[in-house]
Amino acid sequence: MLASRFIGRLRKVQNWIALMAGLFLAVGLYQALVVSPSDYYQGEVVRIMYIHVPFAEGAMLAYTVLFFGSLWYLWKRDPVIDNLCHASAGIGILFTTVALITGSIWAKPTWNTWWTWDPRLVSFAVLLLILIGYIMLRSFLDDKEKEARYSAVLAIIGFVDLPIVHFSVEWWRTLHQPLSISSRGVSIATPILIPLICMSIGLYLLFAYMLMVRTQMLYLEYLLEAKQGRLLSEIQL
Amino acid sequence: MQFFKVIQWIVWKDLVSEIRNRENVSSMFFFALAVILIFSFSFSMDQAATKELMPGIIWVAFGFTGIIGLGKSFLPEVQNDCMEYLQMAPVSKGAIYLGKLFGNILFLLLAEIILFPLFILFFNLDILDKLPIILLIFLVATMGLSALGTLFSALTVQIRAREVMFPILLLPLAVPVFIGAVESTRGALNGDPLYLYLQWLELLAVFDLIFMIVSFWVFEFILDY
Repeated sequence: MLASRFIGRLRKVQNWIALMAGLFLAVGLYQALVVSPSDYYQGEVVRIMYIHVPFAEGAMLAYTVLFFGSLWYLWKRDPVIDNLCHASAGIGILFTTVALITGSIWAKPTWNTWWTWDPRLVSFAVLLLILIGYIMLRSFLDDKEKEARYSAVLAIIGFVDLPIVHFSVEWWRTLHQPLSISSRGVSIATPILIPLICMSIGLYLLFAYMLMVRTQMLYLEYLLEAKQGRLLSEIQL
Repeated sequence: MQFFKVIQWIVWKDLVSEIRNRENVSSMFFFALAVILIFSFSFSMDQAATKELMPGIIWVAFGFTGIIGLGKSFLPEVQNDCMEYLQMAPVSKGAIYLGKLFGNILFLLLAEIILFPLFILFFNLDILDKLPIILLIFLVATMGLSALGTLFSALTVQIRAREVMFPILLLPLAVPVFIGAVESTRGALNGDPLYLYLQWLELLAVFDLIFMIVSFWVFEFILDY
């Protein structure tokens, strides 16, 4: 199948991707923690942004991959694509959790609260719940083909829901609290932008690497199970 | 024409089986009754607190009722081995979804209409003149809740941890329905003019539309072989 060939070809460069990811992350972290200046308003606290923003972007990337992968799976029924979706959801949970935790740590000194019902926060929390539900649903289904189909349906519905959650929360808050969250006081200047871009590229590459490794793992598991099934039927014969 | 016939038949079938065993509506009703009683013990409410909390209480009760009722909507099909027949039936799978959906809307709405007088009774609400708009809110919100609930019921009915998975999947995705329903109910109970909470009703209507269309399309893959 097309996807399997594509992934097979990508496998040859996956270590290079890992190397590049490590490089970008190392340079980005050095820039973020040492080189870049502290913020005028927030002081050193602002440095958490270099972790928080790339992870949030990575989480969104993971969910986008999950959504298009699910559409692709329903269209072509390629088991490798299903493994890709599964892998993407798992990485998505990790990234979303990191983004939520770092965001919460960042929010305490700047907004003086751990959590607020901001549209973006709520849609991220809902995203995490959907991803956890997705993984749980997968773990409760025994039939591989059915598992792939059902979870693809769930991922598509969840992706459609996210913008609605976002806007409903935005309306919900703006209707009753005209003064929503104040601006963060971060204007993007070059010394801030460079580490941010470095970290983002590093995280994207890290995501790509993790996705490839995890997809292969899940595919091998799939093959192993298929093979075990065949052996079992041979024994029974 | 056959498309609408299928919808009609499925609604009729669910209705008849419901009338015969009264399992779904009665379990929904008694569950919600218990929820109302617990809420009335939990909060000692004066008039102002009632106004503030009532919309939330109503929709938490209806949401739980929906979980009880909607989660079971495909159960009879599985217990009687009818899922295979639904899968094999040479009809549009979307029509099967819509049939189940309309049946669910009907049952949930029925439970809500039976329950609402109890809210009025227990919490001393004075809202008889606003009844039409409240019924409209119930209808629109129930449609959204049922659109998701019917899909997830079909999704979870054949798996091991059915009772756990159904609310886990439904509740996060139904967040917009709950927000819209609570806000518009609050507007209606406060006696606000309609234009103040009309956008919540619009949001609910848009939500209903989007989810019915998407679910209609993806339902085909759930009943697929």
